[in-house]
Amino acid sequence: MNVLSFETVDSLRKSHPAWRLLCSDHAPLTVSFLHQTFIAPNLRSIAEAALTEALEDMLFALRERLGEAPFPRSAREYLNDWAAPEKGWLRKYYREGSDEPFFDLSPAAERAIAWLASLETRSFVGTESRLLTLFELLRQMAEGMESNAQMRVAELRKRRDALDAEISQALEGNVPVLDATALRDRFQQFAQTARELLADFREVEQNFRTLDRRVRERITLWEGGKAALLEEILGERDAISDSDQGRSFHAFWDFLMSSRRQEELTERLEKILGHPAINATHPDPRLRRIHYDWLDAGEHTQRTVADLSKQLRRFLDDRAWLENRRIIDLLRKIEAKALSVREIQPSGGFTEIDTPAATIELPFERPLFKPAFKPNLTDKVLAGTGENIDAAALFSQEVVDRAALAQHIRQHLQDRSQITLRELVENRPLHHGLAELVAYLDLGSGSFRAAVDEATQDSVSWKTVDAQGQILHKTARLPRVIFVR
Amino acid sequence: MINNERDLQTAADAPELSLVVIPLLKGVVYQESDPTLWSHLLKLQPQVRDYVRVLDLDLALDEAEGYAFLRSREAESEENETPRQPRLMARRQLSFPVSLLLALLRKKLAEFDAGGGETRLILTQHEIVELLRVFLPSHTNDARLVDQIETYLNKTVEMGFLRKLKPPTGSSQPSPTFEVRRIIKAFVDAHWLADLENRLEEYRRYAESSSETRDDE
Repeated sequence: MNVLSFETVDSLRKSHPAWRLLCSDHAPLTVSFLHQTFIAPNLRSIAEAALTEALEDMLFALRERLGEAPFPRSAREYLNDWAAPEKGWLRKYYREGSDEPFFDLSPAAERAIAWLASLETRSFVGTESRLLTLFELLRQMAEGMESNAQMRVAELRKRRDALDAEISQALEGNVPVLDATALRDRFQQFAQTARELLADFREVEQNFRTLDRRVRERITLWEGGKAALLEEILGERDAISDSDQGRSFHAFWDFLMSSRRQEELTERLEKILGHPAINATHPDPRLRRIHYDWLDAGEHTQRTVADLSKQLRRFLDDRAWLENRRIIDLLRKIEAKALSVREIQPSGGFTEIDTPAATIELPFERPLFKPAFKPNLTDKVLAGTGENIDAAALFSQEVVDRAALAQHIRQHLQDRSQITLRELVENRPLHHGLAELVAYLDLGSGSFRAAVDEATQDSVSWKTVDAQGQILHKTARLPRVIFVR
Repeated sequence: MINNERDLQTAADAPELSLVVIPLLKGVVYQESDPTLWSHLLKLQPQVRDYVRVLDLDLALDEAEGYAFLRSREAESEENETPRQPRLMARRQLSFPVSLLLALLRKKLAEFDAGGGETRLILTQHEIVELLRVFLPSHTNDARLVDQIETYLNKTVEMGFLRKLKPPTGSSQPSPTFEVRRIIKAFVDAHWLADLENRLEEYRRYAESSSETRDDE
């Protein structure tokens, strides 16, 4: 295994983006920024404007502390530099339907950042759990390879006997519980593997892209006839999904996609993260929703695969393929000839090309002269009338507690399937008068279902206290409003 | 009876047909800019073809790429004595640098497609200048060269083969970026490039022979 021969490591140091990231001068800035914007919130693509702003904020804070010298350039320059092929830490691309470029973290950079995160010393390095997992994997492989039905049945029976023994033990009350250390050990392995899984998605996507490129290269350099090429490519059906990468990914996706498993994951995660022994290790709160993160990342990858397959099929399209070959030939000849006439270029018209638009004159589409509208801005000062009006009326606001009203409606709808607005008001008199009535109506059109009976009129009355302390009775007449469950 | 049905059919299509034919006469119809119009067009393809045949036009529709436009029909046979109607779809004269620019953009697009992955080819003005620079006579004044190339770029944008992208909001002006529209594949095709190559060859021979006669004098 020549994995780490001198030449390999030397070339890694010179060309691998992950190594370059670790050695770069601005590594603290780059790593902390990329972790904060891509890895922590688990985002796959961020628009240029948003990313530039985030970097500006970080640079601003750093410049306050460390002065102008360490980071002299602008945020956009840094981003473009990081996305350049020489660095290769960010991928810059354009999406359909938007003129703005988007950025995504490259898998190499993600690996470097994950490695840095793992450097933090662990107080406890679990071993039991990993050994058990290894045994389980070996068992799966051995059983899976066994095609003889008898042997399989024998294995399954052995397992069933062990389970039966456990059941009888449990029935007697002997329930062996995992102690805190064993729990922590397993949880540590779970956290580690879950994070690695999430980090691997970018690499999965990159692998798909590489596969696609390789197929396209093969197509472009194909010397033989189209039929033979098609046979070769289509003989493998879909070259991308049928690769190792594709199959493993699809198996993963199918497994994760069942809602039953999702619920199972959520329940178990809740239970485990609530256990005191686990809580004491201060687990990463993101672990609670790790399966949703997997779904997000997996979905993104699925979309990429679908896009790649579609484009590949288009690329294989008949006319496009033949024409591309011919065009590249022609262009080579044209370039050579153009270079030879470089100094004595022809002037005037050289070629003609069709336009896709008909020459249509639309003389009546021209607008006629309209004198320009000049708005007259005068500098007048409005003179006040000099009266003293009590401005308190502007500031006194009725604050209506919508939550209390909603609660009131819900309580009543528990017993009955319908209730009219009038009954609601009778049961709970209006404290804030008309404002409260309007709040009821608003709730009826929003959070609750309400039917309005135009034919019948209801009258709703309430009492208010005016400025002098007199009690006034007010009544409103409105069509019957019925709140429905 | 059948005639009535057909009349009913065409009468029912009529409002949608005009909805489709008018934009086609005015230029290229893209699926991405107007999906409803595109779906009408797909539905009414045969009617559109019949309709524009009267104007000596053909409908060129590429479903995969998502664009459609009209082109003049070539005369079927030269023996046909009926006088040729004037072309509805005009032909534009292009200068040598602009023709070369179109060819180079087409090459970039072909390479880009072969590289795989993305569908939108976006180039900065700087990249296009570098692409074209080697084929233009060397100028001591670099700024003037860039200005010239800008005029060629504007011409290409006018023809609809390049699209200038909106600069990002609130930033100091970086160099403008252009998207190479895939419609260029339909117009700068192998036929047009073969024609360009022939003309170049003719011109080259003419230039060589005239320089020889000059030397002889």
